[in-house]
Order: sequence, then C-alpha cells, then structure tokens
Amino acid sequence: VTGNGRIEATAAETGWSVIAMSGEHDLSTAPELRARLHDLGDANPLIIDLDQTTFVDSSILGVLVGGLRRARERNAPFGLVLGAEAHPAIRRIFELTGLHEVFPIFASRAEAQAALSAQGSAS
Amino acid sequence: MTAQAADVTLVVPAVPDSIAVIRQTVSGICEALGADSRTVGDIKLAATEACTNVVLHAYAGSGDGTIELDAHAGPDELRLLVRDHGAGMTPAPLAEGLGLGLPLIAALTSSLTIVEADGGGTEVSMTFALRDPPPEP
Repeated sequence: VTGNGRIEATAAETGWSVIAMSGEHDLSTAPELRARLHDLGDANPLIIDLDQTTFVDSSILGVLVGGLRRARERNAPFGLVLGAEAHPAIRRIFELTGLHEVFPIFASRAEAQAALSAQGSAS
Repeated sequence: MTAQAADVTLVVPAVPDSIAVIRQTVSGICEALGADSRTVGDIKLAATEACTNVVLHAYAGSGDGTIELDAHAGPDELRLLVRDHGAGMTPAPLAEGLGLGLPLIAALTSSLTIVEADGGGTEVSMTFALRDPPPEP
C-alpha cells in the first residue's frame, strides 16, 4: 500500500502550465512534484490545482515553497487553486503554518488565470 | 465505561512508502473511535510528520531501520507512540524541508513528549483529544 496521490502536469497551448494534484501526498510523492516543477520550468505562468487533493504534509509544502521562491526570483506568475469544495485538511495545514498568507490562493483556475494575467501585464 | 478499541502495534520499514501505511492505519483507528473528520485529519497529519522525521533523520545513511507505531485508544483520547532505533534527536538539518514537522505536531496534539527510546533512538508520544466519544456498544 502506498499513497494514492497523483500528479498531472500540463503545459497548455494557452500558455499556462498547470499541475493538478489529487489524492494524498507526502514524502513519497514530494520528489515527483519537485521533478514536475523542474520540468515545466519558468516559460509559462504556473498554477498548482489542489482542489482534488485530500492530504498534504510539510514535505509537500516545502516543495511548493521552493516553487514559489523560484517563481518570485524570476518574476513569474505562480498561484495555487483551493476552492470552496476543496478538502478541509488542505486549507487547515496552510492555516496552521501561516502559508495561506504567503501563497497566492485562488478559488478556481479561471480566477487564478485572470488575477495572474493582470499581474503579468502589470509587471 | 465504554469498550476500548484494541491497542494496535505496527512495525514498518523506515522508507517513504511506509508513511501512508501508518497514516491509513491511524485513520482507520480514528474512524473506529468515532472521531470527527477534522480530528481524523489532524491525527493523520501529526502521525505523518512524526514518521517523516524518522525516515529523513533517524537512520541517515544506513539504508535500513524501522518505524514502530503503538496506538493506545481510550474513550476520550488517542495516544500514538512513534518510535525509531536510530541516531536519536539531533539538531535539525536545514538542507531539506521547512522545519515545520515538529511545530505542526505540537500544534495538533493535546500533549507531546519526545524521549530517548529504550535501546536507543527516539520515541515521540502524542496524545489527541477525540472530539466525539466512541459509540455506545
């Protein structure tokens, strides 16, 4: 038995990279997430969708913080999607760690794209 | 006095894939005890963080070792012991992670003690209040 987390990464023709995570994620899937972030690079704005995720731990938060840090260094748009229907455990770990105030968090991919597009055009 | 769920002991290899095994075991115990979903989530997270510490730090470089989990269920609380027989508590290396594991565990538990395990290594004892009492038999 292992974690059931899945990670799907797409570099869309619309110019957005999206990583959609589902299921449970911990130290066993953190290297895969780190690799997907690395593979996507910084060419496109990046959205990480956590709406179908049911568990993340501090290992995953560490990878996400690393992604955010690299994006900021390159002035590249980066946001998380955590909608109203997302699993409460995900919002809880962000709130317990204070990282909900660090990451740009949006209620949907559309909202993230709209906000991050504005950010990109403003910079 | 309500019936207590049986105590559970689990020993798994100290590798990343074992963490989910312990998490799922703990989740099952919590649900059997009638804990609400938020409490179950908190206990799963604390157990995961304790096991992650073992995998990352207890047996650094040795390539083997185990994580031992003891779960003691009472009518109003659950106590989890996560034990390793590795190098013992050492200053947290800063090279990997955010150092959030122990602060998270402290925030999620009603009591937390970390002691040297019998025979060497580290034993993390975490107690959680169960929001809902177990169902009447």
